Amino acid sequence: MKPQTKEFRRVAAKTMVDPRLQKALEGVYNGFYKGRIAAAEATDRWEEQREQGRAIKEHTINHLDYYLELLADNVEKHGGRVFFAADVDAANKYVIDLALSRSVKTVIKSKSMVSEEMGLNHVFEQNGIESVETDLGEYIIQLAGETPYHLIAPAIHKSRDQVSDLLAAKAGGERKERAEDLTMQARAQLREAFQKADMSVTGVNFAVAESGSIVLVTNEGNGRMATSAPRIHVACMGMEKVVPSVQDLGTMLRILIRSATGQRISSYVTMINGPRAPEEEDGPEEFHLVIVDNGRSKLLADPALREALNCIRCGACMNACPVYRKVGGHSYGWVYPGPIGAIVTPALTGLKQGKDLPYASTLCGACREACPVKIDLPRMLLELRGQVTEGHPDPTQRSSSFAERIVWKAWRFGMSSRGRFDLGARAARAVLKPLSVGGWLRRSPPPVSGWTSSRDFPLPASESFRAKFKRRQSKRAGKK
Amino acid sequence: MSREDVLDQAQRVRSVMAERAGDLLESLAEHAAIAGWIVHRAGTAENVADVAAAICRNAGIKTALRSTHSVLEQVKIDSSLHSGGVDIRVMERLQAGPGNEVETNRGVLRRAVFSADAGITGGDYAIAETGTLVLHPRRGVSRLLSLAPPRHIAVVERGTVLPSLDELFVLERESMLRGASAASMNLISGPSRTGDIEGTIVTGIHGPLEVHMILFG
Repeated sequence: MKPQTKEFRRVAAKTMVDPRLQKALEGVYNGFYKGRIAAAEATDRWEEQREQGRAIKEHTINHLDYYLELLADNVEKHGGRVFFAADVDAANKYVIDLALSRSVKTVIKSKSMVSEEMGLNHVFEQNGIESVETDLGEYIIQLAGETPYHLIAPAIHKSRDQVSDLLAAKAGGERKERAEDLTMQARAQLREAFQKADMSVTGVNFAVAESGSIVLVTNEGNGRMATSAPRIHVACMGMEKVVPSVQDLGTMLRILIRSATGQRISSYVTMINGPRAPEEEDGPEEFHLVIVDNGRSKLLADPALREALNCIRCGACMNACPVYRKVGGHSYGWVYPGPIGAIVTPALTGLKQGKDLPYASTLCGACREACPVKIDLPRMLLELRGQVTEGHPDPTQRSSSFAERIVWKAWRFGMSSRGRFDLGARAARAVLKPLSVGGWLRRSPPPVSGWTSSRDFPLPASESFRAKFKRRQSKRAGKK
Repeated sequence: MSREDVLDQAQRVRSVMAERAGDLLESLAEHAAIAGWIVHRAGTAENVADVAAAICRNAGIKTALRSTHSVLEQVKIDSSLHSGGVDIRVMERLQAGPGNEVETNRGVLRRAVFSADAGITGGDYAIAETGTLVLHPRRGVSRLLSLAPPRHIAVVERGTVLPSLDELFVLERESMLRGASAASMNLISGPSRTGDIEGTIVTGIHGPLEVHMILFG
């Protein structure tokens, strides 16, 4: 999928004045955010389990090569096939070649964020294969031709009315009103797809290295349908989704689900160990696991950003984020919204065009507090801000202008000596005073005009603290 | 953790299941209800079939498919439902024709399971912490049986209840080490549900809209 990260400011500004979207975003807060807090409070040893979850992920990411090999070996032992895709083109090619060689006509998709990175629906379409999203939220945004608004609730921005129109268009005009009826209408449409599909593409919530299993978590049951009905099952995973042991799953599922929706557990957790057993009643005869890199190696190689690979995609950081809750999911311009998106999107798709994303944060730390594996998101957002200005190893990824760099060089020159600082402060006061109104600077001259384009700047005090201090000291001395 | 440690741990889990069977069944009943199961306490095995028949009567269930879990035979569910006017059939692969039996079977089974009013299963385990039914699909235990029909009725016996997810994964790891893992496992905790339209929770989007858990023993 082509990133639209350059559009951040435009989409964010539009969202902030859209009352309907603001109401939907408030719902995210009231539902998921409060749900997570209640679930955490009701869970024994919650903090301990977060620590444990973090330790599991950290260990795995630090030995990722080993665990991915182990995973691949064990999947193959069960009769599954494994494909390592360096980028989305390689992943798409593998899936399409497989579908074409098996004469697949219809594919059902269970939610997969990696397949959004791949733009897989589009590629299926180009190859004349029908591809139907089966998570209701994903189905809605597929019908609308949009991207997910939220990791857990992709269509949370759509009103009942809009959903009604989209489903009616698919049902030959029959329009439903209530959420219950709309859901049943979608059920009927998707049942048809489940029954005729030859192949499914699912995501992966966790992959277990020692057993060669993948784990899918859904409330709707589409993950189960996708792993029961069609004859071919393809699971796509980002290469960071692996955990070492079956016994890590208790903790990981607990912190994932409780952080995502506030439930104790989702309706369905499905563990797949390869294709069906020969004597089974149903289930796919073929199982393929596509492990996608698509820039993740770059994150792995960067000690400052590696931590982003600990993410288990629960969405808690965006529910907690005061910026996400105003600018909404589409502002982030790619697959992953919210604070984690503000880190992985620029890191995976290019910092230069995504330079606004690391700034889409107040650095308040609510995301870090909410993260089930305690990822230090503010630290990485700051790191990326540093890279945006001048710290990125690749100079073409830096976004600061020549003028900006000159200004900061001058700033550093001025700030690093007492005499120069005092002189500069006096000069600033003298220059800014005539431009101010009532002690506030409403507009400033270039190259610093950006600072006052959306907020007022207070005029420096007419007397510096040091000057005032000195004056009072001498006054006192005089009194004595 | 070494292989011996895991086998020891698994042994301990089994003793806990037996020793705390009463408490665990109580805890399961509580958490299953929170998860969205309609919980029925049958008391003894003799009552289970009557409870199931009542569920079918109230929900208007005319056709049901069941798994081959031995607990269902133990409680004689077939005769009870049958005399209540329910067409109940066992979902187990019947054909053994040469060549393409898998494909034939898939078509037959799929039509049956997508048109039944209810699926009835036992449970391989249940989990008290989360109100979860655990199923390992295998011969006689279809993946779709507990998913495709609009209602699922599960019969859970005292003594099969695990305290939490952690104990389940100890047993799963034990199976893995013994080379006896099933091809898949489903944890079922309530009905199929979605909140994707304006956050309104609606059940029955892909799977059952109503799920019943009958506890006994």
